[in-house]
Amino acid sequence: MNVELQINNTINSQARFLSWAPSSCRIRVTNPSGAITPTVTIRLSSTSAATGGAVVFRNGTTGAFSNTLTLTVPINGTSVPFFVAGKFGRPSSSNADVRIDARLGTLLVGSVKVMVRIRKNANDLTPAERDRLISAFAQLNNQGAGRFADFRDMHTNVTSPQAHGAPGFLPWHRAYLLDLERELQNIDPTVALPYWRFDQASPSIFTLDFFGVSNSVGTVQFSPTNPLQFWRTDGVPGINRRPFFATNTAPPGLRTEAQTLALGNAYPAFRTLEGNPHGSAHTSFGGFISSIGTAARDPLFFLLHCNVDRLWAKWQRQFGRFNPAVAASFDGAANPVGHNLTDTMWPWNGITTPPRPPTAPGGSLAASPCVSAPGPQPRVSQSLDYQGTVNAVSRLGFDYDDVPFS
Amino acid sequence: MTTRLKATKKSKAKGAKPRSTRAAMSVATSDKETVKARVAAMAEVPLAVCESDKDLQSMLSVLRDQAQPIEVRLAALQSLQAATFSVVAFESCRSDYIATLRKVATDPDLEMRQRVLGILAREKDGFAQRKLLDGLENPDKALVPPEKALQLLSYDIHAEAYPVARKIVNNPPNEDAKLEALRLLAADAKSAPVFEKLLRDKNEAAEIRQVSAAALQGLKPEKLQENAREILLDDSDYDEIKATSLTALTQFGDKDQVDKDAALKKHVNRISTKGGAKVKRTARQFISKYGR
Repeated sequence: MNVELQINNTINSQARFLSWAPSSCRIRVTNPSGAITPTVTIRLSSTSAATGGAVVFRNGTTGAFSNTLTLTVPINGTSVPFFVAGKFGRPSSSNADVRIDARLGTLLVGSVKVMVRIRKNANDLTPAERDRLISAFAQLNNQGAGRFADFRDMHTNVTSPQAHGAPGFLPWHRAYLLDLERELQNIDPTVALPYWRFDQASPSIFTLDFFGVSNSVGTVQFSPTNPLQFWRTDGVPGINRRPFFATNTAPPGLRTEAQTLALGNAYPAFRTLEGNPHGSAHTSFGGFISSIGTAARDPLFFLLHCNVDRLWAKWQRQFGRFNPAVAASFDGAANPVGHNLTDTMWPWNGITTPPRPPTAPGGSLAASPCVSAPGPQPRVSQSLDYQGTVNAVSRLGFDYDDVPFS
Repeated sequence: MTTRLKATKKSKAKGAKPRSTRAAMSVATSDKETVKARVAAMAEVPLAVCESDKDLQSMLSVLRDQAQPIEVRLAALQSLQAATFSVVAFESCRSDYIATLRKVATDPDLEMRQRVLGILAREKDGFAQRKLLDGLENPDKALVPPEKALQLLSYDIHAEAYPVARKIVNNPPNEDAKLEALRLLAADAKSAPVFEKLLRDKNEAAEIRQVSAAALQGLKPEKLQENAREILLDDSDYDEIKATSLTALTQFGDKDQVDKDAALKKHVNRISTKGGAKVKRTARQFISKYGR
C-alpha cells in the first residue's frame, strides 16, 4: 500500500514550503495492494529534526489544528483534502527538516519532507541561513548584470510617487518585497527575507560576514568569504552606508514597535509610520539607504522594509485589519493613482503612461509554486489578506516568526 | 491658495495630526529647550514638516543657522531627510529644501558638509558635483576629504571625473582615497587593465586587491576567472585574495569551464584542508558546487 501526499495541492517538490497560514493539501492511495476494504484509515503525523520546524494539521478550513490527523481515504485513488500549517513558534532552519508521515496502522505508507519557511529576525539567523541569503542576493545581483537591477530601478525618484506618501505605501512595498523574495527563492527556495528589527540592537547584521561593516568613509567592507563583496549597482561596485549610530545599539529616535502599533486602530493613523519609524530608519545612515532615489541600491533596504511590513502585519493581526471591505483596514477613496484599493500596482501592471512612470522594469510579479495569489498584476487590495484569513486563496505564502495565524 | 496650503488642507482631511507632533515641532524649533530635548523632538516630526509653510521654514532656518547647536542642526537635517520619504507630501517643500542644502554645503562644520553634499550628490545635483570636482582638482577649495568627494561623485559618474580619479590611483593622498578612486573607475571599461594589474600585485593592500577583483568581475568576468585561477594555484599568494578568488569562482564562475579544470579542482581540494580558515571555508563552498 502506498499513498501520495500533495503539499499545496501539488506533487511538485518546489511547493513543499509552509508558513503559519494553512496550506491546502491532498492525499490519495496510489497503490492499494493489501487493502481489503473500499477505504483505509490513514493517520498523518510529523517528525522534526533537532532544530527543525514543526507542523500541525486540520481536515477543514476552520477548526483547531492538531499534531496528528486521521483521514478516511478511498483505495480507488480519489483524493482527500486536508490542511497543514507550520506550528507557530517552530520555523524550520533548513530545507526539508520536517517529515510528514502517513501510516496505515503502524505501517508507513507515504511521507514527504517539507520546510516551514518563515521570515525571521535577521539578527537571529544561523550562519547557514545567513550564508544562503547573501549568496542568493549576490546571485540575483550577479555583479550588477542580474535581475536585481530591475528591483533597483523600481525604487527611484521618478517612480517614488507610486509607492510613497499615500495609502498605497504599505501595500506597494509588500508586493515589492514579495516579488524580490520569490526571485531569491527561484535561486534558493529555502530563503525567506529576514527583517531588520530597527528598534533593537542588531549587532549580528552589521558584520563582515553579513551586511558588512562601514569604514570611516562610509564604504561597506565585507569579508573575502562574503559574496556581497561583488555587489554592484549603477555600474559601481560596493555599498555606501554610514551609520549615524553605534551598530551594536539601535538607532536613536525611532518609534518602538509598541509605539508604532499604538499609532491608531485605523489605517490612516497607522500609516503615519511612514515618517517615523520608516523614514527615520532610512535616515539613521548616510549613503544609499538614506535617499529614496538610491535606497534600493543597498540590500539592507529590503530588511528595513521587511520590518516595516512586519509591523503592518502585526497591526493587522492586532486589530483584525485583513479585509479590504472593512473601512478601517485602508484609507478611503480618491487617493492618487496606484493608491486606491482597486488600482493595479505599477510596475507589475506594465502601464507606462502618465501618471504612471515612463518605464515599468521587471515585468509582472513573480509566481510561486506554493500559492496562486496575488497574480502577475496585483491590485492594492490584494496585499491586505496576506494570510488568507478572509479568503484562503488570497494567501501570499509568507509569514513572520512573531505574527501568528488564527 | 498656494499648492502647499492645498496639500495641507487635503492631508488634514485625511486624518488629524496627533497633538504630540505639534508639541514636538514646537520643542524642536525652540531655542529655549535643551539640545537633548530638541534632538528627541526632531525625530517625531518628519511627516509634520510639510504640513505648514511656517513649520517647514522653521526647520530650514534651524538647519541654516550656524549659531544653533550642531547636534540640533544635524537632527533637523535628518528629520527633513526622513520627510522626503513621504514623497507626495514633500513635493511642495522640495525646492526650498534643495536650495537650503546648497547654502549649507559650505558650512563650517565638516560633518554637516559631508551629510549635505551626500544628499545633494544622491540627487545628482550639478551644484554639488561641481563643488566636489573643484575640490579634487584644487585641494584648497575642497569641502570634504578627497576620498569622500570621490565616493560622492560615484553617485553619478561622468567621464570628467575619470582623469582626477586616475591621478589619485597613481599618486594617492591616502589609501581610502585610492580605494574610492578605484570604485569610481570601475564604471570605466578602459580601466580593466589597471584592475588586473592591481589584483595580481602582492604588494598591494588586501582591500585594494579585493575592490580590483570586484571591479574586474564587472568589467571583464572572464579575466577575473583567469586571474582567480592563477591566484589560487600560486602557493605564495595571500589567503585573503585566495578567499576572494574562490568566492568569485563559486558564485559567478563559468561552470562548464571550472568543471573541466581538473588541476584547479585538485588544488582547491588540497587547500580545503590545508589552508587558513577563510580559504578552507570558501574552498568547501567551491567543492560543494563543483565537486572534488
